[in-house]
Amino acid sequence: MSRTPEEIVRASLEKHGSGREAVMEILTDVNRELGCIPEEAIIATASAVGVSNAEIYSVVSFYSFFSIKPRGRHIVRLCSTISCVMSGSAEVLEAVRDDLGIREGETTSDGRITLETTSCIGLCDQAPAMLVNDEPHTRLTPETARAIIAGLE
Amino acid sequence: MSAGQLDTLGQEGLLSLYPERTRISVGMATCGLATGAQAVYDRLSQEIERTGCDVVLSKTGCLGFCQKEPIIDLFIPGKPRLTFVEMSPESAVEFIGAIAAGRVPTDGLLCRHDQELLLDDVFRDYCSEGEELTGVPLYTDVPFFAKQMKIALRNCGLVDPGSIEEYVARSGYSALHTVLSGTSPAELIEEVKLSGLRGRGGGGFPTGLKWEFTRRTEAEDRFIVCNADEGDPGAYMDRSILEGDPHSVIEGMIIGGYAIGASTGFIYCRTEYPLAIQRLEVALEQARLHGFLGDDIFGSGFSFDIRIREGSGAFVCGEETSLMHSIEGVSPEPGNRPPFPSESGLWEKPTNINNVETWSNIPPIALKGGKWYSAIGTEKSKGTKVFSLVGKVTNTGLVEVPMGITLREIIYDIGGGIPDDREFKAVQTGGPSGGCIPASLLDLPVDYERLAEAGSIMGSGGMVVMDEDTCIVDIAKYFLEFTNDESCGKCTSCRDGSDLMLAILTRITSGEGRPEDIDFLLELGEAVMDASQCGLGQTLPNPVLSTIKYFRDEYSAHIERAECPAHVCKPLIVYRIDPEACTGCTLCARNCSMSAIRGEPRKLHVIDTGRCTKCGVCYDVCKFNAVILE
Repeated sequence: MSRTPEEIVRASLEKHGSGREAVMEILTDVNRELGCIPEEAIIATASAVGVSNAEIYSVVSFYSFFSIKPRGRHIVRLCSTISCVMSGSAEVLEAVRDDLGIREGETTSDGRITLETTSCIGLCDQAPAMLVNDEPHTRLTPETARAIIAGLE
Repeated sequence: MSAGQLDTLGQEGLLSLYPERTRISVGMATCGLATGAQAVYDRLSQEIERTGCDVVLSKTGCLGFCQKEPIIDLFIPGKPRLTFVEMSPESAVEFIGAIAAGRVPTDGLLCRHDQELLLDDVFRDYCSEGEELTGVPLYTDVPFFAKQMKIALRNCGLVDPGSIEEYVARSGYSALHTVLSGTSPAELIEEVKLSGLRGRGGGGFPTGLKWEFTRRTEAEDRFIVCNADEGDPGAYMDRSILEGDPHSVIEGMIIGGYAIGASTGFIYCRTEYPLAIQRLEVALEQARLHGFLGDDIFGSGFSFDIRIREGSGAFVCGEETSLMHSIEGVSPEPGNRPPFPSESGLWEKPTNINNVETWSNIPPIALKGGKWYSAIGTEKSKGTKVFSLVGKVTNTGLVEVPMGITLREIIYDIGGGIPDDREFKAVQTGGPSGGCIPASLLDLPVDYERLAEAGSIMGSGGMVVMDEDTCIVDIAKYFLEFTNDESCGKCTSCRDGSDLMLAILTRITSGEGRPEDIDFLLELGEAVMDASQCGLGQTLPNPVLSTIKYFRDEYSAHIERAECPAHVCKPLIVYRIDPEACTGCTLCARNCSMSAIRGEPRKLHVIDTGRCTKCGVCYDVCKFNAVILE
């Protein structure tokens, strides 16, 4: 049985305290465990830290790795930065989009994969690159990218 | 921790670096792992067990030659250290087979190291008499390494980032010990000022001066911060340092904390670098365990600890006021300066922020002196700089070079020039705040001043090389898309200015540019620079302004003649079949997914430009070079 957003926030508060500076760490914990930061977590964090829901919402919405909407079991982040673009990331993106039938920012209807593009992930020496969850994949071609994504459960 | 204990720790490290047996180390930074270093490591391990040969297997960071990963090093007592490149699980089997048979493996052998340096000093002589393997090129003769000088990267690719002992063996924490054994904070700051070290994150502000400002501000407590929110497109120096030698940054920060009078340090690292964060966590735990962090370090009375904070995918958080807001847990829009962080930073306390590479330069300066460091480099830019060399260049990787080296030496001598016989067009330095430098300036010495005079900046060290097939207007548009996306939206000039500049660039690359567009971009760029609050807005027009400065003709070609000289901008290019060259082989027609090519076998084929989506497949598949791009 997975933990509710409120339970994760409570556990995180014990580790990091309820000061304002704990906000990022609480949100990071929630995002890591649930893949997103649901409204309940925002409300619980705001009331624990003693600020308005809107203030926590403004923090959550600022960061591209935080999401309020639920995301897929796997998050594919294809780098759309210059060195990757110069090495053919546009073709890779097109192949992945076609295969999954979704566009950037969307999740497959079976909840398996969320597709995103990201700013530089520091793998420019082996462009084009992507992160699948925390795992880097480099020197992608449309074929290798399709194969990697097909292998995700 | 006492001097004696430090010595013992170093001895343990030496034994682990140089056991009296053969040792193999595998480069396992992200660049290695992404190309299969884990599989190579696992296979080596299986084969060592299977053959029963007496070999120690260990892990290290990145040697810099990322193009050639996976890279492994072989240390046989009495023989040179040998570096092997482009390893695979299959070659690992042969590798261990050779060692088990008492031979030196040869597949993938790049070079030999007869001795190991640490800064300027000889750290290890590898060879016994007659064991030089003289047929193998020397490390210092390999063009990629020949002109490099490693200070910030001194341990990367040699030590195990998970071993504090190996770091200590390489004189690690002895700078801290020396400093805490009788150097006053004021003397230390003088030494850093004397070194001429300037901020490696991009700003280039003199580090010693920044420390002095923070120290001078009256306060009960102060903070120091390591900015590891590396976000410039094309730049990954900091990731590599954190993954390959995390203790060098930690030691630098402790020394900085002592000089400045801070008791807490923060490392703000982007979440995109999970391995760097993991290795930092391990290193911090080790440093605490051995008393380099915590209360009363080396019995000096000085107490200091470091905490990690994770960014979560916001480029602007690399800007220092934004970064501090992020640590404080508030919405990370940039704030006003002044007051500068040295006066009022984290929780309004004096705060000193330096980037990863700056911090890793501190222990060598503290150990060998500011004068030693300032002997390297140019008049106003001292020491070395790490660059990530990427894009259209033969050897991609991380290079650390003395300031004052020319762009030509970096791109051609170290980088091996442009692949596929293409012509060099420009090099982009400084990320979205920087600019494009053309071929006519290839002999420019690289330092803060020269790059600024050329309309670019040093930045954090990304160097993206472009060849003749790169459209310069498209590149400028790319950078504007990036900054437009990453702009936090607080200042109208940055938010709407970047919108407008991007719209104009999009229009130009679509063939709908207007004659007045170039001058309007210049005017708009100046206005955005003047009216924006933080560095992001103040520098975002640079890629546009510098490309107009050097490549105005290319902008004009798009606008006046609806031509993209590099044949990149799709609305401006046409694919056509050359009647002289076409053999009627039908290959293009069969591969065209839009059925836009018509023709009978062995007769001339024709592209229907109305249906053509300009995907370029026909161009790629034609064996007779009959498809022409115009």
